[in-house]
Amino acid sequence: MSIFSVGRVCVKLAGRDAGKKCVVVEQVDDMFVVVDGATRRRKVNVKHLEPLAKTVDIKAKASTADVAKALGIEVKATKPKKAGERPRKQRKVKAKKAKPAKKEAAQSSKATSAESKTPAPKAEKKPAKKEVPKKEAENEEVAKTEAPKAEKDQEVYKA
Amino acid sequence: MPTGKHKSRTLRRVFVKTPGSRVVKHFRRRKPSKASCGGCGSELKAVPKQVPSKMKNMPKTAKRPQRPFGGVLCSRCMRLVMKEQAREEQ
Repeated sequence: MSIFSVGRVCVKLAGRDAGKKCVVVEQVDDMFVVVDGATRRRKVNVKHLEPLAKTVDIKAKASTADVAKALGIEVKATKPKKAGERPRKQRKVKAKKAKPAKKEAAQSSKATSAESKTPAPKAEKKPAKKEVPKKEAENEEVAKTEAPKAEKDQEVYKA
Repeated sequence: MPTGKHKSRTLRRVFVKTPGSRVVKHFRRRKPSKASCGGCGSELKAVPKQVPSKMKNMPKTAKRPQRPFGGVLCSRCMRLVMKEQAREEQ
């Protein structure tokens, strides 16, 4: 049995976790050991550890929470990652916005017809609705200029 | 007459080729000496050797290794310090 048995408290000597206390959680082989505690949980060469006299009662492959309890260390709760969903959502919203804009344009044409109070024949209304969204798809600017024209045409028809 | 700073060797000479294919002598500040370990005096590898004005613009992580005593002690001396601290605690 080497000194680095499960439950042995050590100090890390190398790397950015140097000087921090950790506990041996698992023995990989005679040279390597899995370590957890104030350091990150990782496989470590035994040469990079300084063993202390203290040992802690821990099961092999214990979780970080158990190790933290045994050592008396507070471990920061890691937040679940939410990044990555946002750009997709934005794209969907944009696509949705584009569609209702066309509907609104159609509705506006409806509203203008409703305001005029003179009920136009249904056969004339339907083609007018279809034309407006098609033009918008081709060119928004053209559609803006043409949409009022279509409305004017409708008014002419009503007259 | 050239000024004193251009006669002495306090500034280093850099030969620069201009767009008109003329070679011109520029005078620049000398770089500081290499950073060395506070324990053994050996050269520190990850610390760049630059004029202070350029060091100011570099990020902190580019100027020293990411470990305790990084940029002050070499890794070997740091390990010795850590061992001593661990043994003193007991």
